[in-house]
Amino acid sequence: MILRRLGILIVALSVSLSWAPDAFAQARDSSDSSEYLIKAGFIFNFAKFVEWPATAFVQPDSPIVIGILGMDPFGTIIDQIVQDKKIGARGFVVKRLKWGSDIKELRDCKILFVSASERAHIDELVQIVKGQPILTVGETPGFAERGGIIRFTVEDNKVRFEINVEAAHQAELTISSRLLTLARIVQQPSVEVRKPG
Amino acid sequence: MNRRKEPHRLQQAGDAFSAYGDVCDRESVASLADKFLEGKLNMLFHRNHDSGPAPSAGRILLAGFLAVCLTAPTPAQTSRSVPDVTAMSMEDLMNLQVTSVSKRTQKVADAAAAIFVITQEDIRRSGATSIPEALRLAPGLEVARIDQNKWAIGSRGFNGRFDNKLLVLIDGRSVYTPLFSGVYWNVQDVMLEDVDRIEVIRGPGATLWGANAVDGVINVITKKAKATQSAVVTAGAGTDERAAGGVRYGGKLGDNTYYRAYTKYFDWGPSAYPSGMTAHDGWDALRGGFRADWTPAGANSLTVQGDVYRSRFDETLTVASLSAPYSNTFPNDGKYSGGNILGRWNHTSERSSMSLQMYYDNTTITDHSLFGDHQNILDLDFQHGFHVGDSQQFVWGLGYRSIRDKNESSFTVSLQPNQVTLNQFSTFLQDEISLVDNRLQITLGSKFERNEFTGFEIEPNARLLWNLTPNQSVWTAVSRAVRTPALTEEGLRLNSAVIPPGAPSNPTPFPAVIAVFGSHQFNSEDLLAYELGYRVQATSNLSLDIATFYNNYSNLRTAEPGTPFVEGSPAPTDIVIPFVAGNKMSGGTYGVELFADWKVVPKWRLAGSYSYLQMDIHKNANSLDPTPDNPNGSSPRHQWYLRSSIDLPKHFDQDTTLRFVDQLPGLNVPSYYSLDAHLGWRPVTRVELSIGGQNLLNNWHFEFMPDFVNTSPTVVKRSIFGSITVKF
Repeated sequence: MILRRLGILIVALSVSLSWAPDAFAQARDSSDSSEYLIKAGFIFNFAKFVEWPATAFVQPDSPIVIGILGMDPFGTIIDQIVQDKKIGARGFVVKRLKWGSDIKELRDCKILFVSASERAHIDELVQIVKGQPILTVGETPGFAERGGIIRFTVEDNKVRFEINVEAAHQAELTISSRLLTLARIVQQPSVEVRKPG
Repeated sequence: MNRRKEPHRLQQAGDAFSAYGDVCDRESVASLADKFLEGKLNMLFHRNHDSGPAPSAGRILLAGFLAVCLTAPTPAQTSRSVPDVTAMSMEDLMNLQVTSVSKRTQKVADAAAAIFVITQEDIRRSGATSIPEALRLAPGLEVARIDQNKWAIGSRGFNGRFDNKLLVLIDGRSVYTPLFSGVYWNVQDVMLEDVDRIEVIRGPGATLWGANAVDGVINVITKKAKATQSAVVTAGAGTDERAAGGVRYGGKLGDNTYYRAYTKYFDWGPSAYPSGMTAHDGWDALRGGFRADWTPAGANSLTVQGDVYRSRFDETLTVASLSAPYSNTFPNDGKYSGGNILGRWNHTSERSSMSLQMYYDNTTITDHSLFGDHQNILDLDFQHGFHVGDSQQFVWGLGYRSIRDKNESSFTVSLQPNQVTLNQFSTFLQDEISLVDNRLQITLGSKFERNEFTGFEIEPNARLLWNLTPNQSVWTAVSRAVRTPALTEEGLRLNSAVIPPGAPSNPTPFPAVIAVFGSHQFNSEDLLAYELGYRVQATSNLSLDIATFYNNYSNLRTAEPGTPFVEGSPAPTDIVIPFVAGNKMSGGTYGVELFADWKVVPKWRLAGSYSYLQMDIHKNANSLDPTPDNPNGSSPRHQWYLRSSIDLPKHFDQDTTLRFVDQLPGLNVPSYYSLDAHLGWRPVTRVELSIGGQNLLNNWHFEFMPDFVNTSPTVVKRSIFGSITVKF
């Protein structure tokens, strides 16, 4: 009996799936994940309001590579957000990266979103990208204090962000004052700053 | 600093009453598309305001037009699918509220338990006007109305008016009564507009919530005062619920303190018997309450909240008597009143969180024909959660509960002693370990508690969650839970029937009283539960949740015949045939619960649920309990529902739910279908009109039968309820 019911459910689901491909294409339109939709919107804005050193790009029309390190909370949202978008002559490319195997590719990224799943690797990551023109964006508590550049927070159901200006400076990134006025400025603990070398 | 991004276990310590932290923290009811629509509209209107205010008709037309644009697939639309956040300024982005279903599913997907969340939006769109009605939205839960003011609500079997295996909390306050180990559903109410969400956990939650969270836990969680800053006035009328109204006002004191206060009233008319004759089961209730949240900058926050209520109910009661005709049926009425006050302090930092909660709860029942009870409960709860290294989160807690009970007996029901104070102590520890890049989560923990009836109880569990991919997870759990004895199981005497003298089964010259007795030998009921579940977010708009379980019960309650004795002094008046509470029933239950949620198009959502339950509970060989009322036949084997939610143009929304509930063979209740429909309309943002119909397919159906206390069951009729809500 139960198997029959299960069977019916599965058949019904698959029939609906094959029956409504357009509906699906359409439904993907408004993903439910408003939090990451909003964050994707911010990432696009970061690209607008952060200036990379000229040496960071091979050509004037080299794309801005957005890397997502670890478990991807955006789904297809971010791809859809930046698809066909240009900032000046530059388009966007989104890459999904894994800790370990894709370490080399980290350096190709201009924006690196560090998923909460990578919270154990933050210190190591900061060392790896040190001095590279990579805008690191994270979500883990303490991300900016530990050397990440921007950290998203959610306060009262609204997305906010923190910026570690010192880390941005070390990465040779120029952050527009428009971003800085909206952000909470975070200092690296003095112990970290005083660390020799 | 940012609590919401803290892992959910820590939140749980902070948000002590929440099952899995802020499982879904949405305050708004609008769907995402609507949010963006609103955002865009607001932007448009800001611009319009520069050149003069936009006419409201134009606004509605524009909204309708945009709604059509969003729903109608045009080539231009399909090529750009996600709402275009890139066109929004940083400031606009910062003003958008995070209102995500997927945040909910993400967090829920991280729970190694069968958890379901009923959101404010679900409640509003269902047209439910009470907590029990709202609970019908939870897959697998058994919700049945016995008469207008009595419910039987259970999870995974053993349903009944006095169901004793489901723990219910409102904002962290347990409303499970130690009198009979169940819930007075008719006094559990809140301003439904202020509900943030209802978390329903099927299966044991004893490690965190303690004894009695055996087959399920229900957490009703109201919004923070900051989220209810407007004034709301609501009024409605209908065929069953004849009149209802409520007022809530929210405000701010200084920079960091928000508060709200509410009062509400409703009056339910009587239902009917199958013959069509009007029954005597109407009721009304008046309640009021407040909540204040103080969140100074920094790590601390303080919440104080409280409610008072009184409720009057009618019923038709049948009681036994010692003189002819030995049984009387008469219209009875009674009163419930009570109040509670709760304070909670939270301290949250990056790596740890602490909470201390204290509440006092008073319940008074006055029913001169049956039973009077006056109960005061003081409850203290402390929790502390912290990270150990990068991959472990540890939570521990301490609890103390003092129960004072004072009761008045009748011939039918008496409870010994008349006055009693019970003290309960508990502690729990739980460790959550994340392995393999957080893809594997192991949760180990146990509750240890001491009560005055059975002494020391231990309720451990082990849970495992494995994120196969970011969109798929499998979880499994093994848990032990106990259901500790209620006051009635220790000291009750319930005279359930009287056999007249000279009747075939009573050859003596005295009336024979069949009486159910509690016993000091009565022990805790035990459960060992095995659960396995799977969740998948198949696409961004289709999700599926499957939970299966096998529960192994032992020491379940039976009524064992005792030695008859003669009562009365000096001359004997009657013979008592006692049935004494024993623990001689055991067995297994198993089942599966499915839930699927499919956003067909952005403005049309289909949700479906199916649950199957098989109960194989039997009395032990040494049991002499002759009553046939084993629990196998009091819960439906099959239940399903299909719910369609459509956002229509011009701010209409429409919901239709078709439900099937299988027969209850043990209670002679046939299976039934119920079709419920609801239409909501917001002609302007501040006003909402709502009309809902329930049980539209039939004139009436039965849902359940009374147990223990012999009240006349009444039917659930077709009913209509309409209301208007205005926000200022």
